[in-house]
Amino acid sequence: MAREEIESEVTGTVWKIETKVGDKVMEGDVLMIIESMKMEIPVLATEAGTIAEFTTEETEPVSEGQVVVILET
Amino acid sequence: MGWEESVAEIRRRRAWAQAQGGADNVARQHAAGRLTVRERIAGLVDDGSFREVGGLSASVTYENGVAVAATPAPYVCGLANIDGRPVAVGGEDFTVRGGTSAGLDKRKGGQGGFSEDLAYEYRIPLVNLIDGAGGSVASAKQRGHAVFPGVDSFDRSVQLLSEVPVVSAVLGSAAGGPAGRAILSHWSVMVEGTSQIFAAGPPVVARSLGQKITKEDLGGVPVAVAAGGTIDNAAPSEEACFAMIRRYLSFMPQNVHEAPPRVVAGDPAGRIEEALLDAVPHERRHPYDMRRIIELVFDRNSSFEIQPGHGKALITSLARLDGHVVGIVANNPMVYGGAMNVAESNKQCHFIELCDTFHIPLVFLVDVPGFMVGEQAERAGVLRAGMRAVYVASQARVPVMTVVIRKCYGMAGMATCHQAGLNLRIAWPSAEWGSLPVEGGVAVAYRREIAAAADPKQREAELEAELREYASPFRTAEAFGVEDIIDPRETRAYLCRFIGAAQGRIKTDIGLKPRAGVRP
Repeated sequence: MAREEIESEVTGTVWKIETKVGDKVMEGDVLMIIESMKMEIPVLATEAGTIAEFTTEETEPVSEGQVVVILET
Repeated sequence: MGWEESVAEIRRRRAWAQAQGGADNVARQHAAGRLTVRERIAGLVDDGSFREVGGLSASVTYENGVAVAATPAPYVCGLANIDGRPVAVGGEDFTVRGGTSAGLDKRKGGQGGFSEDLAYEYRIPLVNLIDGAGGSVASAKQRGHAVFPGVDSFDRSVQLLSEVPVVSAVLGSAAGGPAGRAILSHWSVMVEGTSQIFAAGPPVVARSLGQKITKEDLGGVPVAVAAGGTIDNAAPSEEACFAMIRRYLSFMPQNVHEAPPRVVAGDPAGRIEEALLDAVPHERRHPYDMRRIIELVFDRNSSFEIQPGHGKALITSLARLDGHVVGIVANNPMVYGGAMNVAESNKQCHFIELCDTFHIPLVFLVDVPGFMVGEQAERAGVLRAGMRAVYVASQARVPVMTVVIRKCYGMAGMATCHQAGLNLRIAWPSAEWGSLPVEGGVAVAYRREIAAAADPKQREAELEAELREYASPFRTAEAFGVEDIIDPRETRAYLCRFIGAAQGRIKTDIGLKPRAGVRP
């Protein structure tokens, strides 16, 4: 099992976390939504896998390149 | 008797050249996950097309006047074909003294020299396969003096940039001259994991700043391609890198005195894609996949993205419409809503000059809310960088077509069209524009009125709703302030028509594209 670190592409605030730990996701699925520049920017699964951990929570600020989700693939 | 003996000597010496730096050094190169320069050239060019020049240049050991052994000069160059078209190609042979310079009567290439002269004089593209560390302080001991910077001039490398396509691949650890050479190219590529590039490597950094850092952390793909934008693209392997070079050159004319090559691949100009109709969400806060729109509109599988990892709020791609080469500049709403920051501006300016130089018309797919805002962006000089994009767009002389997909605001919006020219702007029904977005703009323009209202929040919302009505693209089209509003599914056919019609103009404009003035 490999751990895949998924980063936020943008600086902003966590708007909604649409999944939970243990969810099975496919590549391209929306994991959470970051609000940045008045836009809702989805964080997408880069591979299929199971959500192992969120490293942030709703309303928390995140910066560009910050790891926000860890997937087990 | 003829010259059989001398001809045999030529063969013998060519065999020495083939042996490169010897079996041990070649094995070491392979163990590092890298190919030798001869394998690289073979992997890059059309089969059997490499005509080596200077294969006899070597440091030769003589016994009783007979040559008995040779160390080849550490640079391999010559003439080859890529997709049937001639190119000049050259690269350092890292298996010979780490690819350091040879001390020949004439340089073979790299930084000036035969391969560069060949490309320049014959007006054919140049491919540099870079795998050398450049100058060494030890050379001063051999010469008896320190050389003044420029003893190997970059003048030819600079001249080449206005005449023929120049591609550089960084295939090892490049510092100094070879690193600089890579930047003086129209397009550059490096390989993940096995190549690095920096102004100076880890030992110099440790000595200068006391920072201990690995080669990969200092100049690997994440730094040089994604963060710095020093190199344009990254390839997963050397083989993939050669395929990308061939792909890049397929869009280019042989020199600036020709138009780019049309390749008709049978994708109908009138192809209708239903998916375009709902590609853009009605909810303005929801982004969408601009790359998918590019795939649907342009010739199937024709798009080749330049600098995908840097300045990610902007997408720059070479592609084709009805076989004609075009340059795409598209905002990416997934990253900061497509706002233009310093990296995006640098990327856009370089790409527009590239396309203008090689007579490639531009298609803008616009969704830009403006320049990036905030203290960080201001500290990085976003306004100057952003206005540079406006300046460079205004200087372009190739035909420009602008398709407004969603937002087109302010000065960043001006960098997406060609006000000095025909200025053909077509819009999707999802388009909106103005000097600045209604949100925020209302708060500034009606500050007193809002403050004086019984319910300021409500008054602000009312004013926003009122002004948004004027934002309908149809109202601007009534005034011919935008040339057309189209069904998104018509985009491909519309663009193909105009790109086809523009080809005559492109042919009248071939040649050098000198640019006067001072960029902001």
